[in-house]
Amino acid sequence: MPFDALSGLLANKVLTALPEIDLMRIKPKLERFKMIFGETMNTPNQIAEHIYFPDTGMISLLGTLGEGANLEIGIVAKEGAVPLCPFLGTPSSPVKAVVQGAGIAHRIKTADFLEECALSQPLTKMLLHFTRSLMLQISQCAICFRFHKIEERLARWLLMSSDRMKSNEFIMTQQYLSHMLGVRREGVTKAASHLQNLGVIQYSRGKIHILDRPALESASCECYAILLKQT
Amino acid sequence: MLKKIKADENESRLNHLLGALPDEDFDRIKSQLEYLHLPLGKVLYESGDKMSHVYFPTTAIISLLYIMENGGTAEIGIAGNNGLIGIALFMGGETTSSRAVVQSAGDAVRMSAMDVRAEFARGGLFQNLLLRYTQSLMTQISQTAVCNRLHSIQQQLCRWLLINHDQLPANKLVMTHDLIANMLGVRREGVTQAAGALQEMGVIKYSRGTIYIVDRKGIERVACECYQVVSTEYDRLLGEYIRTNLPVTTSHNSASVR
Repeated sequence: MPFDALSGLLANKVLTALPEIDLMRIKPKLERFKMIFGETMNTPNQIAEHIYFPDTGMISLLGTLGEGANLEIGIVAKEGAVPLCPFLGTPSSPVKAVVQGAGIAHRIKTADFLEECALSQPLTKMLLHFTRSLMLQISQCAICFRFHKIEERLARWLLMSSDRMKSNEFIMTQQYLSHMLGVRREGVTKAASHLQNLGVIQYSRGKIHILDRPALESASCECYAILLKQT
Repeated sequence: MLKKIKADENESRLNHLLGALPDEDFDRIKSQLEYLHLPLGKVLYESGDKMSHVYFPTTAIISLLYIMENGGTAEIGIAGNNGLIGIALFMGGETTSSRAVVQSAGDAVRMSAMDVRAEFARGGLFQNLLLRYTQSLMTQISQTAVCNRLHSIQQQLCRWLLINHDQLPANKLVMTHDLIANMLGVRREGVTQAAGALQEMGVIKYSRGTIYIVDRKGIERVACECYQVVSTEYDRLLGEYIRTNLPVTTSHNSASVR
């Protein structure tokens, strides 16, 4: 839902990296937007009307698999923008983007965005840079799905979410987690209880609390550290 | 050292991206292209290497392998004459995070980092094509992730065969189960079992290190939707630009894939 323009701080790293002159020109075209948990930010194969630059919160990118099955292939927070397809040359993309952590974004109409891309070299540069880091994230995700155990992936996911939400506690249903990780609910339950028994997290009624972060880092696969280095 | 070859300049237009350029754009860059033969197994880039060139395969197929900390590998993407190797160069990076290895011997043209950046910065169709290709590669990698998680080895093998078959002039791929296992990141026994089942269905024939595609439609039926997702997306992004009637004569050997 849109609300009053520009009352809040701009924290998105793509936008804040722009030179003053570019930012001043873009600012009037930006609109503050409240991202609500579960809200769809990009619908597969539908024309993207806005580009969202998160300031807080996070957006999950889901690979689509026919029958509404979803699988998380990447997370975008304040370091990037969603969707990237207009920047890369097409009005739509097959990726679904859903708010995974509530927060605030600045959004801009696609036509205005493309105009700005043509005007601002630094904007283009930042977006290319982000596209590349997103591709690295997706590649890492492909490897992680192939080689790593559910517990390791759950630990990685919790760490990445905690970093982006700047909190050790967040709301998460098992059903959602099972989508994120691409495993059955029983698998999530088992992995979560395992981490809980070790005293690393506490999980109850849809709320996950990270109790021992260093232990969670040890429980995660190497992917977390690799991605941390890259961003 | 890579062996440079003499080739007709039109040979480079076999690469769909270079082929899609209007003549005036192509004329500007054609003197910057180097023609190369890429032997099977040649590593174009090691993960972490500083890259000096972008490669546009014309008849070769290049595999992008992700290298794990423990040395394990898995393929995250494939580029043949439909693509290029070295997107990091125009995206502002200098190093690559994956290994690019020749998976089917053949030819390619390459362009230096400096020339690619200069042409990209002009902002014309070259830039547009490269960005569109980047998006299609992103879909390919995403779909590999999804496929890795959710589909059987047999389905993945079919996806892999179809992608390679699209890039090859013949119905024959030279390769061992070991090498496929490396690409797919699974155990060799898994590949042997999956290939055996496909052979029993009569869709492929496997003999002495060569896989023959016998019934492509049959393979498509066994494959998961991932192949279709990737190829539909490629067509959506680049189909309108690709010219299929370029005046090119080519004399490449039947390709071999390991």
